Amino acid sequence: MKAPLAGIRVVDLTMVWAGPFGTRLLGDYGAEVIKVEGPGQWDLLRGLGGIPRTVDRWYNRAAYFNHNNRNKYSAAIDLRQEAGRDLLLQLLAKSDVLVENYRANVMDNLGLSFEEVRAVNPRIVYVSMPGHGKTGPEAHYVTYGTNVEQLAGLVSVSGYEGGEPLKTGFSYGDPTAGLAVPAAVALGLRQRNRTGEGVHIDLAQRENLTGFVGEYLVDYSMNRELRAPAGNTHPHFAPHGVYRSGGEDRWITIACENDEQFAGLCRAMQREELAEDERFATVAARKANEQELNAIIEEWTSTWGHYEAMHILQRHGVPAGAVLTIPEVMSDPQLRARGAWSEQVHPDAGAWEVETPPWKLPRTPGHARIPAPGFAEHNSYVFRDLLGLDEETIARLYADGVTADEPNVQSHT
Amino acid sequence: MPLPLEGIRVLEVGTFVSAPYCGRLFAGYGAEVIKVEPPGGDISRAHGPFKDGVPDPETSALFLYLNTSKRSVELDLGSQAGRDAFLRLAADADVIIENYRPSDARALGLDYERLRPVNPRLVLVSITAYGQEGPYAEYRSNNLIAFAMGGQMFLTGDPDKPPVKNGGYQADYQGGLNAFSAANLALLAAERDGEGQHVDISVQHCMAPILEAGVPFYSYNGLWLGQRRGNLMSSFMGVYPCLDGQVGVHVMARNWPPFAEATGHPEWLEDERFATAESRREHDDVLMAEVIAWAAGMRKKEAYALGGEFRAPITFIHTMEDLLESPQLEARGFLRRIEHPVAGEASYPGPPWWMGPDAWRDGPAPLLGADTQAVLAEAGLSESEIAAAAGAPA
Repeated sequence: MKAPLAGIRVVDLTMVWAGPFGTRLLGDYGAEVIKVEGPGQWDLLRGLGGIPRTVDRWYNRAAYFNHNNRNKYSAAIDLRQEAGRDLLLQLLAKSDVLVENYRANVMDNLGLSFEEVRAVNPRIVYVSMPGHGKTGPEAHYVTYGTNVEQLAGLVSVSGYEGGEPLKTGFSYGDPTAGLAVPAAVALGLRQRNRTGEGVHIDLAQRENLTGFVGEYLVDYSMNRELRAPAGNTHPHFAPHGVYRSGGEDRWITIACENDEQFAGLCRAMQREELAEDERFATVAARKANEQELNAIIEEWTSTWGHYEAMHILQRHGVPAGAVLTIPEVMSDPQLRARGAWSEQVHPDAGAWEVETPPWKLPRTPGHARIPAPGFAEHNSYVFRDLLGLDEETIARLYADGVTADEPNVQSHT
Repeated sequence: MPLPLEGIRVLEVGTFVSAPYCGRLFAGYGAEVIKVEPPGGDISRAHGPFKDGVPDPETSALFLYLNTSKRSVELDLGSQAGRDAFLRLAADADVIIENYRPSDARALGLDYERLRPVNPRLVLVSITAYGQEGPYAEYRSNNLIAFAMGGQMFLTGDPDKPPVKNGGYQADYQGGLNAFSAANLALLAAERDGEGQHVDISVQHCMAPILEAGVPFYSYNGLWLGQRRGNLMSSFMGVYPCLDGQVGVHVMARNWPPFAEATGHPEWLEDERFATAESRREHDDVLMAEVIAWAAGMRKKEAYALGGEFRAPITFIHTMEDLLESPQLEARGFLRRIEHPVAGEASYPGPPWWMGPDAWRDGPAPLLGADTQAVLAEAGLSESEIAAAAGAPA
């Protein structure tokens, strides 16, 4: 059975993480994604691979770039030149979807606004995903992933109990915006199929992420009280936290939501008397004496490996999970059993393991089909096969620097 | 223009956050979402925070937010009558969203093998911690545990402290958004040929691709830092205290000149130690001290305005108060005022993306069981069947 997005062509102008992750998901689920970079305006992740620039085609070898751009084709077009803009519009005329994540006014300045694209393709689903959205007084502000989580309100409620607001562990705003892209595109395609008309989707990364802390906003709006960071604690339940386990910097999470689970924890620790102890016998008592309880639990967890403790606790019906490091995520038996990794071979970068498409749609599965493209690898497919340009025209595009087979390595130093 | 998902009927048999967030997005974009609640209601009704701090199943901010624009049907899926009634509803649904452990879902009659015969075009979306199969499929989990097992928690926090989760229910929200994207892909496929399927969302698997460079650098280069980095990731990426809060900076190489200008330190551009991205990394401690000193003397909104003026990626940590006062969100109409019959009026986040002015709706969360009668009568159940299906009053 065909993948859900089979037959859908996507022109991908996105760079770095949020956009490329979103379009990678489109490719995972069957769309033909053509990533367009300028000879001098290439995706800067190509340069963030730690590959010495003395190595041949270093710009095709960066793990971070290759990770976010599998299942895509690559064409080089300089959109700042009139001929490049024309070329892109020809491609868009034969496509279903455009995705871009430039700052709000960049596409307009390139002469590639929704209206201008719609003039050549009235059925285009045009997805913009700038940090602040396409409109508003802050639309032109520059913003990246860690800024997004700060603007979204998430950082203000994150952190250790009683502590300062805390960053997430990475540029969390980026992938959370990317995750919305398949749904936004699906809704856009649905609307297009129904009305015959294209649609402009404006996905402001900060607004999308504010949706992940909506209850705090409703709460504040009703009660006018700001909530301090709560660390790993839960408003009602204890134990609910992270505990040191055996090994250097290894930890396990445990979360008991009722008496039955707590009794299981006591049995697992061979401390059954604690379930009857008046300090811990009820949900309210455990919450009131949380610190004391946590110390007792950590005494036990620190004698076990985090995985071992997890398995023991789960056998007693206790919600518990190891705090996995990245190497542990990659070797985790559950993810292995699910088929979460597959080997991919890249002609320049070699073989390594990548995640498989995350969602199982058994009748219309996604696949990690092709590795990330080398720079301009599919120029010929796009210019000759798709656009039907003759050799003379193509030669002129190269001569004028509208396209190239290699990136200008002077940019992004 | 009809709403984007108008005509789609969704049954949400979800508790707490992940499935309800998925359902909220369906409802906002126009699907009819029938929230099937157990007798007594979704546990998020008991969770709070509550209006004025007074527990009431109709005033939990968590429930109010996650369940906008839905209908509520109280149904006891623990009883045969409840499961029979549910099958009648399932026959006429496009999508079912659920987030129970696989064995619990089966006990409630939510297994695909039972649902498919009554409705072959049905898309059943299951959101679980680990997926439908595998050695941990039946392990118990919640937001904290999922955050740990997906690899995000180890990376979060200060280097000399334990790992810490992000605020709220981030793993659950990720599950909900992943499920919404996956469900809409499956709907596209079902609309093409009339065939549904069982969509299997594992929150752990959803997290693996979003660990930034962590996985590729480890998998491809064999590099792993193995360290949490707190608020001070580096001089060019971090959160720094200022006079009235905190500012955040995220400076890529190309933003360095505007950043030096915005901070009032053009002399940094002449300083050899800071001449290239590499030399700035080499003198990270020196530069970080400079940035910390700069931030300490700033007011947050002033720093943000300078960032905007000079096109430097400088923001400030927005509290909920700042969000309600944000000129940007105000100008875009992102904050929606919604009147609820018990909780009163409050501000809610709007759609995750815009697709025209009439593509999203803002109805209040339903009162518990408000639509039980109407929905089950529509499905053709008699009064006595409805009473039996809804279960004994809690």
